[in-house]
Amino acid sequence: MNFEETQNFKIESASLREVRVFARELFKKNSIFENHTDDLVLALAEAAQNIVKHGYNNEPTEDEMKIIIKFNNNVLSMELMDKGKPVVPSNIKPRDLDDIKAGGLGTFFIGQIMDEVVFKTTKVNWVNHLILTKAF
Amino acid sequence: MTYKVTEEGNIATVFLNGEIDMDVTEKAKEVIMPLIEAKKEVHLNLKDVEYMDSSGISVLIESHQQATELGTKVILKEISKSVLKVIMMAKLEQILNLD
Repeated sequence: MNFEETQNFKIESASLREVRVFARELFKKNSIFENHTDDLVLALAEAAQNIVKHGYNNEPTEDEMKIIIKFNNNVLSMELMDKGKPVVPSNIKPRDLDDIKAGGLGTFFIGQIMDEVVFKTTKVNWVNHLILTKAF
Repeated sequence: MTYKVTEEGNIATVFLNGEIDMDVTEKAKEVIMPLIEAKKEVHLNLKDVEYMDSSGISVLIESHQQATELGTKVILKEISKSVLKVIMMAKLEQILNLD
C-alpha cells in the first residue's frame, strides 16, 4: 500500500484544524496507522503551527503552506513547505523538560513521535521544506 | 472549543469541550485566568477535550504557575485519554495537579 496526498492550507491558526482533518482522514483509511493516528496528527499539526507562529509570527498573509503525506515502502513521510522566515535548523532545539515553562514543547513532541526530522535545503520555489518521517 | 463554568463556594469548575490548539488558547485563557486572579480554586474538567497540542499544554502550565503564585491551585479533572497522553509526553504529570 503506497499513497501520496497533497493539500495547500492558508497560513493562519484557524487552518490547523483543517490540517488535522486532512491527516486524520488519510490515516483512517489505512489500518497500519490505527494506533499511531493521534501521535502523527499531533506531530504534523505542531509542525504546521510552527509555520504559522514562527515562520509568519501569526500575522496575516496571502501565502499558503503545502503539505504532502506519502507512504512508500512502509515509510511515512509528511512534508511541509512554506515561504516564511527561513528556518535555521541549528537554532531549533527541543525544550529542556526540566525547565517548566509555557511554549517550546511542539518541537519536542515532533521529535518524540517521528523517527527523523529534516529540513531539506534544495527545494525550489519554497523557503522552508520540512520532512518528518517514520518507519512502520 | 466550547466551555461551561460552574461555581460552588470558592471552587470554579471549567468544563472544556472539543479541540484545544493555538487557535483557541487566548479564549481558554480569557476564561481561566480571571478565575485564578479571583483566587478561586479552579478545576479544569477535560473529559470532553478530544485533542490538545503544545499550545493547550502551555495554557495548563501558565494556569498552574499563575495559581501557585497567587496561593491557589488548578486541578485537572477527568482528563481524557488523548490529553493525558500529551501531558505524559511532556512529562508534566508530576508537575500539574492531576486528579
